[in-house]
Amino acid sequence: MTHINADHERCEGHGLCEQIAPEVYRVNDDGEVELLVDEVPDGLRAQAEAGARVCPVAALHILALHPNDP
Amino acid sequence: MTMTSPHPPVSDIDIYSDAVLDDPYEAYRTLRDIGPVVQLASQPVWVITRYADVRNALANAEVFSSGAGVGVSDDMNALQAGSVLASDDPQHALLRSILSEKVSPRALGKLKTHIDEQADSLVASVVSAGRFDAVSDLAARLPVSVVADLIGLPATGRELLLPGADAMFASFGPMDERLVGRLPEVMAYVQYMTEMASRENLAPGSWGAAILDAVDDGRLGPESAMPLLAAYLIASMDTTVHALGNYIRFLAEDRDLWNRLKADPSLIGKGFEENLRLESPAQSFTRRTTRAVDVDGTVIPEGTRVAVCFASANRDERHYPDPDRFDIDRGAFDHLAFGYATHGCAGQGLARMENQALISALLRRVERIDITEEPRRHPHPIIRGLEHLQVAVVPARGTGR
Repeated sequence: MTHINADHERCEGHGLCEQIAPEVYRVNDDGEVELLVDEVPDGLRAQAEAGARVCPVAALHILALHPNDP
Repeated sequence: MTMTSPHPPVSDIDIYSDAVLDDPYEAYRTLRDIGPVVQLASQPVWVITRYADVRNALANAEVFSSGAGVGVSDDMNALQAGSVLASDDPQHALLRSILSEKVSPRALGKLKTHIDEQADSLVASVVSAGRFDAVSDLAARLPVSVVADLIGLPATGRELLLPGADAMFASFGPMDERLVGRLPEVMAYVQYMTEMASRENLAPGSWGAAILDAVDDGRLGPESAMPLLAAYLIASMDTTVHALGNYIRFLAEDRDLWNRLKADPSLIGKGFEENLRLESPAQSFTRRTTRAVDVDGTVIPEGTRVAVCFASANRDERHYPDPDRFDIDRGAFDHLAFGYATHGCAGQGLARMENQALISALLRRVERIDITEEPRRHPHPIIRGLEHLQVAVVPARGTGR
């Protein structure tokens, strides 16, 4: 399973994530990032990772959770 | 475990010399090919030049610390200590939060119309002249008027803003005869900013006044007011000026690119990022290591001054195929021209907004733009941009005169 961790303290609303991955991230009218998916489906995984990569303040992190992890 | 070598490769290349700075990209490529970390023989720094390593160093602000300054010279670093640029968390986070309340994209939305109007009237005036210097007559004017208004500075003295910021950025370079020659400017500018950091000089409700409010309500120590004002004023000037000047040059040199953006102005932002990747206005800053750290097999000892070369990372062929080519379709939104992570440029939203305003006005009001003289580089140890960019324009039909 792939999960996104958005650090709302760090997020400043630059909006690059939304430009790269509009199906995963949205920056709302208050300039805060919103995740459009709870768990990232496989089909959006590359997009989610690309969107997290371009965050200029490193507020987005992709967590890949494996069933065997504690 | 990776095997680590006890000594880094050493190079004679001086990334701060005028000879290299005139066309630094071959030198950066050589440094990238020598190894992940290279010690410079001519300067008291080690340098990181590959994309992945620069990005990792910027993301690892606890080890690659800004607290001892981000320039080359220890004397100048001591002067900046404690500023938002030259501090570590938690102090840095506090200072940044006061800035970003005003300068983050979420705070900027309501300024868009104002900035668009200023950019449009500037472009209208140069286009009616027909021939102009796209740096001094255009790119240099928008950030000065936009930022000075936002900070709430009085009209008199604004002529100091651009040369003052330019001198302050030069103080991030080595303490050589070039910098010694600019120290009187640095001192005069510090004095100007010290005078400005007071209620009588800052317009009520301005960003500058908000800094004094933060002092009054106890969030900020009084000693931090001037350095924070300086952070706004220095970081937002010649970086933006040269980002805009460089972009206009790319557009004027490539007729296909110009026509494509004229037909589809929604590409302006993408082109701006590609321009920043190729000609990063801030070429490099430094960090100091708080402990020994392994960078892709080379160990940097604790207490080492390390140059992180944004401009080299942005042309690293390990990350960007055919890196020297302007390719608007590349979508290189992950470039490091604004730095990255903890110290990633807080004002990048404002820079993007100024770019959008200026370039869209230019595309709307100009049919065709030609460079009329070979552009000359602005000589500077840190900032890459043009001294002059002489152009002639054919006005677009129906945009009014």
